This record gives sequence, structure tokens and C-alpha cells, in this order.
Amino acid sequence: MTALYEVSPPTQPTSSHPPVLHMTDIVKRFGPVEVLHGVHLEVRAGEVHALLGENGAGKSTLMKILAGVQPATSGELRLGGEAVRFRSVADAARHGVRMLFQELSLAPDLSAEENLYLGDMSPLISDRELRDQAAAHLHSLGLDLPLGVPVRTLSVGERQMLAIARALVGEPRVLVFDEPTAPLTAPEIEKLFEFIAQIRGRGVAVVYISHHLGEVFRIADRVTVLRDGRNIATSDVASTTQQQIIEWMVGRHVEVQSRVQPVSGDPVWQIEARPTGASPLHLELRAGEVIGLVGIVGSGRGAALRSLVGIGGESLWNGQPVLSLEDALRRGIGILPEDRKAEGAVLDGTIRENIALSSLPAVSRAGVVQSGPERQLVQQWIEQLHIRPAQPEYLTGALSGGNQQKVVLGRVLAAQPKVLILEEPTRGVDIGAREEIYEVIAGLAAAGLPIILSSGDAQEVLGLATRILVFRGGEVVSELHAPVTLEEVIAHVTGARTH
Amino acid sequence: MSQAHARTDRSPAWRQLLSRYGLWLVFAALLAIASLLSDRFLTVPNFLNIARQTSVNALLAFGMTAVILKGGIDLSVGSILAVVGVIAVFLDQAGVPFVGTVLLSLAAGGLIGSLNGVMVAYGKIAPFIVTLAALTIWRGVTLVLTDGSPLSKLSPAFQAFGNVSPLGVPSPVWLALSALLATWFLLRRTGWGRGIYALGSSEDAARFAGLPVDRLKVSVYAFSGLMSALAALLLTSRLNSAQPTAGSGFELDAIAAVVVGGTSLAGGRGGVIGTLLGALIIGVLNNAMNLLDVNAFYQQIVKGLVIVGALLFERFLSSRSA
Ligand SMILES: Nc1ncnc2c1ncn2[C@@H]1O[C@H](COP(=O)(O)OP(=O)(O)OP(=O)(O)O)[C@@H](O)[C@H]1O
Ligand SMILES: [Mg+2]
Repeated sequence: MTALYEVSPPTQPTSSHPPVLHMTDIVKRFGPVEVLHGVHLEVRAGEVHALLGENGAGKSTLMKILAGVQPATSGELRLGGEAVRFRSVADAARHGVRMLFQELSLAPDLSAEENLYLGDMSPLISDRELRDQAAAHLHSLGLDLPLGVPVRTLSVGERQMLAIARALVGEPRVLVFDEPTAPLTAPEIEKLFEFIAQIRGRGVAVVYISHHLGEVFRIADRVTVLRDGRNIATSDVASTTQQQIIEWMVGRHVEVQSRVQPVSGDPVWQIEARPTGASPLHLELRAGEVIGLVGIVGSGRGAALRSLVGIGGESLWNGQPVLSLEDALRRGIGILPEDRKAEGAVLDGTIRENIALSSLPAVSRAGVVQSGPERQLVQQWIEQLHIRPAQPEYLTGALSGGNQQKVVLGRVLAAQPKVLILEEPTRGVDIGAREEIYEVIAGLAAAGLPIILSSGDAQEVLGLATRILVFRGGEVVSELHAPVTLEEVIAHVTGARTH
Repeated sequence: MSQAHARTDRSPAWRQLLSRYGLWLVFAALLAIASLLSDRFLTVPNFLNIARQTSVNALLAFGMTAVILKGGIDLSVGSILAVVGVIAVFLDQAGVPFVGTVLLSLAAGGLIGSLNGVMVAYGKIAPFIVTLAALTIWRGVTLVLTDGSPLSKLSPAFQAFGNVSPLGVPSPVWLALSALLATWFLLRRTGWGRGIYALGSSEDAARFAGLPVDRLKVSVYAFSGLMSALAALLLTSRLNSAQPTAGSGFELDAIAAVVVGGTSLAGGRGGVIGTLLGALIIGVLNNAMNLLDVNAFYQQIVKGLVIVGALLFERFLSSRSA
């Protein structure tokens, strides 16, 4: 499919607003690799502009240039008609450009209030004043977050809401959200959309990156699609369709489908999870069965899942105790953790080193890693998961978010687990790649692997799970069997329905 | 080049050696300046001398590299060196055959090092604190054992150990080179080494990958203790005695060699090849300043400046090639 560059018709409502941001002919090279090949972006005051594209398309790279994280190799940046060049994030923030980064970028040991004003804290402010100021800011946003404790102790969703609140400090002119909803649950997403509607109303220009087209159609006015570092299209959202956007992104037609497979036979795993301070949970898993866990943050879903691998509790697998991750992995329980940056990938390592990391005994002789078998194993998973770039020696930290996720999944699968636990397996993964990952998961299940899938994305669970456990208030409140509808699942998750 | 960063860190030893060209330039510049200033510098005996003097620091620095890659630090290497030196002389004087003395001393070093590791891994105390305490404890033990005065009179085999030159190359150089190869191999070719790098980059990720994180921690401090023991045997033989103050302050030179060699103090990035260059730079610097009769007080200032300068220079070069 050939690239087309559409200019939006000048008759839509937001076009009456003047453009505040022009990025023209932006080129970005990392060493010899050119990632952006002359990209354009124009954002108007008071519009929500969705920036879309597959993993590695260059969305984050472009926005990091805007936010002063890294300079462009060439190209022009104009803010309110004036050519600018930001030397740092602080510099960009002073010009009213703020960004919520794709990967959480809070200081984990500082409190919420310290994180909020980090960078623009006046040196003489007292703890009291700081806390009052923070409380007022959070209150104005309708957020209720614990103050005075290290943000490390907050849930991923709470941390994300804090990061959002931080981006809203001061009076920004341009606000960039890079996949803000990935770690959020449905009610938190609603809250975020309210904020965005508010600031849009105040004339702030919002750039919104997401892999969820549903969100784009709810909140965005215009959309720009990138593919492989080039503009493919810019269009008013109202005058396009999901299918059209997907085709722009992927360059081909993608089928979204359900992959639930019937299972039979006796359970192969009897699992007893005992999360500390919550009610125990009994699970039975059949060969090839995909069990979905759903529930909002704080519903006990995450705690139950983690106690399965000995974190924050313990578990019994067919009567065998699992007290630590090491136990779990030794018993063939593979887990894909939700926080890929902190828990999943070794960012300083290459793709090869990451994928082989859980399979070292299998590719070693007398403790010495055999490069032949290792390379073969790594190559296999790079191909199977379509990791881009398909270079085993590429630094994992330099991959796009979605590709990092695939590398971690590759590591888990390379170890040939006997049972697979997936925690938010497609967070930050683009539509095409997501379907590929679903295909892999369904394939593993079809081959008899039992899978526990925990996700905040009900749609995802619906498309894969034969059985869905709904968590609320620290325990399982209902068990749903496929086929169920999305509405039913959401009704159970939110407590609107109980049977 | 960000990719090249990954590549240079993971490529064969010889290619890594070449890729640190910034450090080679610093090293070459030092050699050039020293030979201009002193005509005694550029001689074979002096070079053998430098190699010999550098080898003790290099051994400590190789162990230190593994610890720092893992995301830790080992301040106790100099004190472990001293106490193992004393143990070795005790064994030697008790009539233990030299091979036995070597093996038992290495075991002692490994054991003492693993105590650090146990405190870090299971006691969950910061490595800086654990090894700082170990630094004073083992120095104290050394002073108690020796009553503050040197232990001399070594068996002929022990005396010969650090003073022979098989094939014309001093034995300390042979030892340091073997240790270099062994460390490189362990870090780059074994699952253990992969674990060390992963752990230094992200402990959580290492745990989720199912690595035996706590045992890895213990083993890396044991490895450092082992290297200190090797250095102890060498230094004791060279000095023909176990000195109660032997090795004091050596941890700083070892850390300096690691850092100048490009290993990140945050862990996860770097390697032992760079450490060799770092140790050589520091060795040449010390030697040249001695030849030039630089006042000992000024020597310290110059050394500090060169360390910072070398790091800045390399950063400058790598940022330009990025
Ligand atoms: N520091 C870096 N060094 C080398 N390559 C990089 C670096 N940062 C990004 N890249 C490369 O640039 C390309 C674009 O990455 P970017 O993170 O912008 O993608 P993205 O569109 O945000 O993808 P995702 O949806 O997965 O977040 C990728 O191929 C990535 O590997
Ligand atoms: Mg991105």
C-alpha cells in the first residue's frame, strides 16, 4: 500500500483555532539508523490530536523531541509561530510544553507531593505548604491519592494518575500524553478523559498517543498516522473510520476475531493462592485452558495473581509450595510481569541476552553458554513474535515499547513453561502486534498449555478466555463462561451485576 | 552509536579492546609524555616493573569489576588481602606444602568474601555499608593476628612464587593475564556472567527471569574475595613478608581502574577489558611520577585529575560518535 498524505478539510470545528505547534521535516538519527525521515505535525490550540502508528513507528521519538528529551537531527520546531529548540525537559516545560512519558518517570522514593513539584519546587517551601499545595491541586482534579508516602507504595494505576496530575501542574500550552491509559482501569480512564476535555476547553493543544482506537474516536479531533518514521495521513477523526486508520497504520487489512477454544478433560493443575491479608483462592486449570482474571485496581486481582508466584503471599501448585519467583520458574510456571521496564526487560542487555535469560541452563554446557543453540533459540522467538528490528544484538533499551514487550514475552516462552501467567500481555502493544500475540497465545493453548491471563482490558480477556473470574473487593465475586458479552463482563467488574 | 554501545560491550575480547580507543589514546598520551620527561621510562626493565606493579591492582580490580557490574561495591578488598596474607604465612610457617597454602588461602579469601555476600543478599544491607564494616573488621583481625608487626621468613617456594619469570615474563604478569582471561570468560561466556549483568541492570527483572539472585550476589563477593586472596599471595611473596598494613587504600585504586575502564557504577554495563586498561593507565601514571620524583602529596592530586580527565575525554569521544 502506498503512503498518502492527506490534508484535513478546513471546515471542521477545531480548525477555527490557530495552530500552536508546527513540527516540520523532523529527522532523527540514532547513530547510523534513521528513525524519523522528515515528519510533519501541526497541532491547534484546543484540539486533541491523536498520534497513531505501530510499535516503532516513531511516535515517542517525535514527542521526545518536542518535550526536550532529545534534539532532532534536523528539522524545525515552531511554538506559537516562534522557532524554538529545547535543550531539556525543564526548558520545554518553561515554554509550556509538558509530556506524560510512556514509561512511568516518577521518583519512586519520593512522595506524591514531592513528585508533583519536582523540577519546579521553590527551594524554601516547607513540607506543610508543599503538602497543602499538592492536596489542593489533586483536589481540583478530583483525585484522591495518598500523600507523604513513597510513590513506590502506590499501585501502577495510582502512579499513572499522579504522573498525569504532574503534567497538569502550571498552565501548559501543549500537553503530550504517550499511551496514558495503558496502566489504567476503566474508571481511571474516564477520569483522564474528563481532564483532557477540561484542558482542551481551556485552549491547550493536546497530543494523544494510544494503541486503542476506541479512545481515539471518543476524545480526538484529528489524527496523524505515522508508519516507519513517515507521515501516512492526517485527517479529521469525524471523517474517517477505525478500519481506515488501521489500514493506514499497518498497511494491510487486519481481522479482529475471537479465539476462544473449547476445552475438555480433567484439571491438570490444582492451585491454591494465598495472598497475604486477602482471602485465599482455589483454581483449577485444564490443559489448554485460558482463564481470564478481570477486576479494577484494588479488586484483589493483582494481589491474587502475584501470590501465585510467591510475591506478597504464597501458593500451592498441585500441593507443591511456591514461595518465591525462583520456585515458580523452577516448577515451570512462566510469568510475564506487567511492568516491563522495571520487572520485565533487562534494558542494558541485548535482545539475545534477554530472550535467553530464562533458558540459560538449556543452552549451556557445564555453565558455559553455547552460542550456536543460543542464537537458534533467540532467532526462533524473534521470528515468531516479529520483533523489530530483528537483530539479536540490538540493545533492548533502545527498542520501542511494544517490541520490548515482545522481547520479554519471548524470554518467558523460550523457557518452555508448563503453565503460563500473563499480566497485561499487550500493554503498549500496537493493533497488528497485539493480534499476533493473541495468535501466539491461542496457539500455545491449542497445543495444551494452560494459561492464566490477567488484564485490565476486558476485550482482550473476552477474546481469549474460556472462563473469566471477576474480582471485586479482594475476592472472586463471579465466574463467567464463554461466550459472554463485553457488557456482561463490565457489569460484573463494576458491580452493576452480581450473577 | 547506541547500537555500537551494545555491540562493543558484547563483542569478542580483541574487538572490545580496540573499541575503547579513547582510553587507548589517553594511555598513549601518558606513555608519550612520560618518555619525553624521563629517559628511564621507555626501557624494558621499567616496563616489566610497571607490569609487575600493576598486577596486584589489576587482580583486585578484576574482582571489583564483577561486583560493580552486579550493582554493588567492595571496599574490603585491601583488608581481605591483608588477612589472607597473614593466613598464608601462618600456613607456610606451619609446614603446609606451598600448593596447599595456595589452595587454602584462596578458599579463605572466597569464604571471607562470601560473608560480605551473605550480609548483602540475606541481611539486605547496602553493599557499601557491609564492605565498609568488613574493611575495618578484617584490618583489625590482621592487626590482632600479627600483633602489629610484619610476619617474615617464607618457604623458598613461597618466595619464588612472585619473583620468577617463566619465559622471561614476570610471574605476576602471568597471573594477572590468566585472571583477566578467566574473569572475561566467566563474565561473557557463562550463565553466571549473564546473571551478573542482568542483576546489575535490574534486580527485579533478574528475579522475574527466575535467576537465583541471592546466590549470585553471594558468589560475586566470593569471587572478589578470591581475587583478593590471589593478590595477597602475590604481594606477600613480593614483599617476602605479610605486612599488617598491606593493601590499605588499595580498594580506591581498584575502583578507579574499574571506573576509568568504563564500567558503570550503577551496574549492568561495562567489562573487564576496560578495567585492564584502567589499571594500566593508573600503573603507568604511578610509575612515571615516581621516576620524575614528583612529590608524593602532588602525586595524589595528579592521579585524581587524570582519572576525571580520562573519563571526561572518553565521554566526549563517545558522545561525538553517537
Ligand atoms: N535511543 C535509541 N537508540 C536507538 N534506536 C532507538 C532509540 N530510541 C528509539 N529508537 C528506535 O526508533 C524507532 C521508533 O521508536 P519509538 O519509541 O519512537 O516508537 P513508538 O512509535 O513510540 O512505538 P511504541 O508504540 O512501541 O511505543 C524504533 O525502531 C526504536 O527501536
Ligand atoms: Mg512509544
